[in-house]
Amino acid sequence: MAAADVRDMLDLPAEGQQQPRPHKKQKVVEKRPEGITRELYALLGERAPPIAINENRYKGRPKWMSKLRVRPWSMAPFTNGARTDELVLRHWQRQHEPTNAPALEGPEAEKPEEKKEPEEEEGVLKPPEQEYPFVKYNVKARVPKRYSDDEYNRHLRNDDWSRQETDYLMDLAEEYDLRWVVIADRYDFQPQPIDAEANSNALVPAKRYRTMEQMKARYYYIAATMLAFEHPPSEMSETEFELHEKMLKFDPDRERVRKELAALQLNRTADEVREEGILLEELKRITANEQNFIAERRELYSRLEVPISVGNTAMYQSSQGLSQLLSTLLQADKSKKRRSILGPEGAAAPSPAGQTPTTSGPASARDSRAETPGQAPAPVTKKAAAAAAAAANKEPQQQPLKTLTAAEESRYGVQHHERLTPSVQFRSDRPQKLTHAKSNVQSQKLAAALAELEVPPRLVMPTERLCKEFERLIVSVNALLDARKMGEKVESEIRVLEAAKEERERRKQEANEKENPQVKTESDHNDTSLASAAPAKSIDYANDGKDLAAAAPLVEGPETGAGNDTAGDASHKRSASVLSNGSDKSAKRQKK
Amino acid sequence: MNPSIPPSTAEYGGDEVSAIVLDPGFSTTRAGFAGEDAPKSLVPTYYGKYSYEGQEKLIFGDDVFVTPRPGLSIHNPIGRDGIVEDWDMAEKVWEYSFASRLTGAKPGNPLHNGLNDVSNGELPADMEVEDTEKPLADSPLLMSECGWNPTKAREKTIEIAMENWGTPAFYLARNGVLSAFAAGKASALVVDIGASNISVTPVHDGMILKRGVQHSPLGGDYISSQIRALFKNNSPQPITITPHYLISSKNGVEAGQPAQANYKTFPPEKAPDASYRTLLEERSISEFKESVVQVWPGPTKLAAIGPGGVPNEEMAKTTPARPFEFPDGYNQLFGVDRYRVVESLFDAKAAIADPESPFPAPTQAQTVTELIKSALNGVDVDIRPHLLANVVVTGASSLLYGFTDRLNQELMQTFPGPRVRISAPGNTSERKFGSWVGGSILASLGTFHQMWISKKEFDEHGPNIVEKRCK
Repeated sequence: MAAADVRDMLDLPAEGQQQPRPHKKQKVVEKRPEGITRELYALLGERAPPIAINENRYKGRPKWMSKLRVRPWSMAPFTNGARTDELVLRHWQRQHEPTNAPALEGPEAEKPEEKKEPEEEEGVLKPPEQEYPFVKYNVKARVPKRYSDDEYNRHLRNDDWSRQETDYLMDLAEEYDLRWVVIADRYDFQPQPIDAEANSNALVPAKRYRTMEQMKARYYYIAATMLAFEHPPSEMSETEFELHEKMLKFDPDRERVRKELAALQLNRTADEVREEGILLEELKRITANEQNFIAERRELYSRLEVPISVGNTAMYQSSQGLSQLLSTLLQADKSKKRRSILGPEGAAAPSPAGQTPTTSGPASARDSRAETPGQAPAPVTKKAAAAAAAAANKEPQQQPLKTLTAAEESRYGVQHHERLTPSVQFRSDRPQKLTHAKSNVQSQKLAAALAELEVPPRLVMPTERLCKEFERLIVSVNALLDARKMGEKVESEIRVLEAAKEERERRKQEANEKENPQVKTESDHNDTSLASAAPAKSIDYANDGKDLAAAAPLVEGPETGAGNDTAGDASHKRSASVLSNGSDKSAKRQKK
Repeated sequence: MNPSIPPSTAEYGGDEVSAIVLDPGFSTTRAGFAGEDAPKSLVPTYYGKYSYEGQEKLIFGDDVFVTPRPGLSIHNPIGRDGIVEDWDMAEKVWEYSFASRLTGAKPGNPLHNGLNDVSNGELPADMEVEDTEKPLADSPLLMSECGWNPTKAREKTIEIAMENWGTPAFYLARNGVLSAFAAGKASALVVDIGASNISVTPVHDGMILKRGVQHSPLGGDYISSQIRALFKNNSPQPITITPHYLISSKNGVEAGQPAQANYKTFPPEKAPDASYRTLLEERSISEFKESVVQVWPGPTKLAAIGPGGVPNEEMAKTTPARPFEFPDGYNQLFGVDRYRVVESLFDAKAAIADPESPFPAPTQAQTVTELIKSALNGVDVDIRPHLLANVVVTGASSLLYGFTDRLNQELMQTFPGPRVRISAPGNTSERKFGSWVGGSILASLGTFHQMWISKKEFDEHGPNIVEKRCK
């Protein structure tokens, strides 16, 4: 039977279509752990139970070590060089071997080896070959040389300190290695009665309590003096001199005050501690904000300083040039974002933005500025407030997109002034600018008007409200000044016209006289009526002239009411500079 | 050599000279070899005394608890303030502590033990020397003492060690200093809550500041007396503690029900002294302390109103009560009472009044917080913040549940400004044997071996040398 028949019978696919057989399982040969015989291991089967088969024995030493000789240790006696008595203590020690085993001594080489003969009889000690290794830690503080009697009497006498007590202090200082905390704690000087017999009945002198500062002051004085004996200050080395100065300058009172403060600091109540914590937190926040602000401002400045290029725009006129411009702008945009992280260096670096003749610099500056007031929570510092105000000042003009509500304006300190050009400026400049006029003559007139009103030309306290009022005043003054100027102009016109008319009349009269000299009085009457007609025509232009006052009552017609008004005002002989509602009205009317 | 530069790690070094460290306390005496991490020998300082066939016999060590011999009375050589009162017995107890386990039993007199019987009757020459051998002839001895040990007691101690025990070198260290060393600090404020005393010891550069050392009797025994007072005032019926030796059998009962036990009775001539019963009662109370008593965690006192506006007592009542079964089978749940018995360590007004107690009512100045406060007031202001940042709590009674937390709260409230940091080892044996561990470290340091008072120096200067050398 062929394989194909079998396949047919079993409904198996033909040989060619058969899928590849699954791979034969790779036989995993597990490593037989040590300590188990092969036969036993075979019985375990393929999957060994998860039991660690360990031989129960000690780890032992590495093989190479077992070849070494055992190095003997011995209980060896030793003496300590820091002791004055020959106290013999015993410790375990590696026994010295005369034959040196070179490679093996490695880590133990530095072990101190002092004694090598353990069989040596106890008590009889050979002098140690090596000093006890811990002796080097026996260090003492450097204390000044002791004074002699003579030196004490000549230089170190003190009413407050007896010789005995001074000696006691110096002993303690030496004993406790200048640990002043301990010295002050242990200080317990009992003055010896000079003659015990006589004083036995006398009162025991009250024990004096010495503070640490007193002790220190006395000790430093003595130490400095003794140092100066040893080397006069001129011959001292630098360190010595420094020490000498430091000791001489010790001020016990200051030290005492310092300690009182330290005690106060230590004994604060919980509330005080909490308050201090809050204040510190606040301070940290403020300094952090200031850093932010400084960084932002620096960034702004660096952007403002970007040079405006004056290159020609010819290259952007082709479509290729335009696409190039677009890519450079995009790049500039990206680098701008990065620059805010990089800081001023990034901005100062030549960037493609510098070549574009667009206003990308100022625009970006505006962007960053617009964020500033929002980011800075409330005016944090004076600087911040001023800058925010300055920024807000120019905001409405430069950025018409964002309109501020009244509340926002008051919050950001946005102010509107008619006479101020919107720009960044010092606050102190503002009051001066208010009185600034176009021409010198005009400003002089303005100053004169202010002087007449007894208003100082420069405001003493230029608050916002005051400035507003002041501005209003200046505006009215200017309006009046304008009106006066106009009035003068009209008046002179009238005069010219009158003069011309008179001339004409005279010529006419002369001609009439020649013809008919009898009718002189009648024509005189006509003259006046005609003459009065001319001002009536011009009354529209000049209402405020005082010279008109005389002519006005003569005028009759539709302007009588207004004329009366004007006459009333004018009759008071008010100067043009004086403010009044009436004159305001008239000025307005005049404008029409 | 510049002292301000610490030696490199390789240079730190122990040098063990097989010194013995002996840390005698009121309740237990600890002894062991320097360089080990726990004392090998821990024996009660209490000893038993009875007479047998007209002879006075003494029992030392744990054997005192075992057999209720007729007329057995229990004594303690150390007074309640931690100063030795009975020097003869103190010497014996201390000697027992190291001779029983460390230096081995004294060999019998070689003349009579039969091993050295020589046929020709000739005696070796050095036999005489053996005869007078002292128990500590080979080992330097480091002993600890409390910070207020008077000069006389210190001199007496060195006399015993040098003359009676024959130690070649001796040193007497303050246990406050040793506890600080055990915590790895040279400067620390050590709060030691012992059996008979609580003490606060300021340590600066390894030296105690004597003006700052404070102690008061509110130790573990005081807490035991408070527990006794609590049992006496127990509400359904007063609880009496019957020690194990008086009970032959017992049956389990419901909580709060009277005990059902068969008691042993001793005829008066066979009965041990009342002090024996007290000692064994104390053991039961210790068990109670370990398993039931808890320190109110604070931050305010137990009697005060808590942060939530609820009185702390009410809060304490809501925590689950803990059961305790006495040796006779009586058992009961202990609720808020388990906080009350230790509250007077922090708040003197919270003490449970008991006119029969040997302890007078505590004053506020004796509480732990006040002790720490006055200890700090006794030292220079410059080191106070440093001490507060290094408060070491040690002593077995400080293992009361929640003690360190409460102490931390109290200190933070008393000193809100400086940083308060408590260092209390979590390991029970380190807390119990703090001063012994410190002594073990100290006596195994190579640099320490210049500090020993040698026999020669003692002979030269007399016992007063201890005042000069062990500062």
